[in-house]
Amino acid sequence: MFRSTGLIARHSMALVFRERTVSFLTVLFMALVLVSAYLGWSATTTVNAIYQSAAAFLTSTHQPIPPNPVLNTSPLSLLRNMSTYVSLIGSLASIVIGFQLVAMDRKGGVVPLIGVRPMAGNAYALGKVFALVALVLGLVGAAACVSVMTFQILPEFRLDGTGWRHLTLFFGTSALYMGLFGLMGLASGAYAKSETVSLLIPVTLWLTVTFIFPQLTSNIHPTAALNPVKALVDPPHSSFFTYAELVLGPVSLADAYKVLSARLLEFLPPGHVIRSVVSPATTLVMATVFSIGLAIVSLRKMDMTKGDYDA
Amino acid sequence: MISIDKLSKAYGAHVALHKLTLEIEAGEIFGFLGHNGAGKTTAIHMLTTLMKPSSGTARIAGHDIRADPISVRRAIGYVPENVRLYDTMTARENLTFFARLSGVGEVQECIEETLELLKCPELTDRLVGSFSKGQRQRIGLAQAILHRPDILFLDEPSSGLDPLGMKTLRELIVQLNEELGMTIFMNTHLIGEVVKVATSIGILSQGQLVFHDTIDAVRHNYGSDANLEDLYLSVTPVSQAVRVA
Repeated sequence: MFRSTGLIARHSMALVFRERTVSFLTVLFMALVLVSAYLGWSATTTVNAIYQSAAAFLTSTHQPIPPNPVLNTSPLSLLRNMSTYVSLIGSLASIVIGFQLVAMDRKGGVVPLIGVRPMAGNAYALGKVFALVALVLGLVGAAACVSVMTFQILPEFRLDGTGWRHLTLFFGTSALYMGLFGLMGLASGAYAKSETVSLLIPVTLWLTVTFIFPQLTSNIHPTAALNPVKALVDPPHSSFFTYAELVLGPVSLADAYKVLSARLLEFLPPGHVIRSVVSPATTLVMATVFSIGLAIVSLRKMDMTKGDYDA
Repeated sequence: MISIDKLSKAYGAHVALHKLTLEIEAGEIFGFLGHNGAGKTTAIHMLTTLMKPSSGTARIAGHDIRADPISVRRAIGYVPENVRLYDTMTARENLTFFARLSGVGEVQECIEETLELLKCPELTDRLVGSFSKGQRQRIGLAQAILHRPDILFLDEPSSGLDPLGMKTLRELIVQLNEELGMTIFMNTHLIGEVVKVATSIGILSQGQLVFHDTIDAVRHNYGSDANLEDLYLSVTPVSQAVRVA
């Protein structure tokens, strides 16, 4: 079974690289990683430059010099925009990758040709899941390389051991978050009868999780959800938000990812309260396990007699 | 070689195939005739293990389709109606994938031999997306015989082909049967086509086998192609006059 699984995974990866939409979203995601690093560096150096000239002026006028605000922030917060790009473009790219991994077989009409090969029932499903995992890890790995290079190039932003550990965990969390949306794309690509519906299902789930749940649990206006700092403001102390977070917290994946990434990139506001009964890390792990199960069941139940989606 | 025992498939109240019982010997070219919707494709889907039967079973090259589907798949090749492959890949890339999935050892040698056999080596490194219907059909046939199966299932192989394409396909079917000794199970609704290559025929109507005999016996009993057409039309839908031989 492992040989067939490996074959399916390698073949699927080779095919997905030829898809223009996937290539476009991958390039866009990588460009945003670079932009994130640049914006973080630019904002910090601007503040630092202003501080230096203010400090020079204060010294010349014999006034006390306040501490440099740049030194009060973690160098990791340089990457705070990354959490937004992951939850927006990264997740969308993963959905498209997951969908394409199945859609290219269905649209190619080769599903029955694969179905008559001598391989175990799980080989196809596992091959697709492994291909998705490898592609998401590759994407996140490339983003991590850019971030590491940024820290190597800029001497004023040095990470200690804890910083490197947090950075690694941040990219691990990002891979988990993107992966679970990719798995939804995979499941939907296999389950839905129509191509349009199979893309709409995971995109609708993503929109709900990213923009609607945060509004209900944290009183965040949808556009504010794009701002990594505003998105972490505590909700009003009303019974509605208390109960909404209790109920929706365990499925509010974008909230869980934002809190976790803010904690790992060290820009979580002090005293931020999590009212959900399930911790953000548990929420993401549970959602990933559920998505893996959903993807495998959908792929196993896929009608192997048919090729294409319904018109 | 193919032993079908009361094979049935029902979708709720609709019975697509009703207790199909049939024996096909090794080396035969079996033409499975019937109108569109008669249940031919359902039968082929179950025999190729793509679909589970509602009841009954079949043995393909000695392996039960329910108990040992993987062994069945090793023994068969399948060409669906309207063959479609990965358009963004070359014929070689497509065939390499299917050969590896079928467990073929010397993949590249096998691909070259197969395309030589099918008289289309010039297609090897061209993108499948640029192929005509006939060329696509050949690569579709190639993917099915890469592992040299004992039995080849063809679902409406002449669908969409022009007269020359149909003639070439007939020649290829006979060649595969004679040179590689493959037993061929071919679904079609074109009686004129099937009598030119088949050694035996079965006629399916509304999910039931209503006629089965060797082509020699059919020719002896019914004579000309026109009479064969009359036979086909008389047994579809189910006629009381002719029953399973």
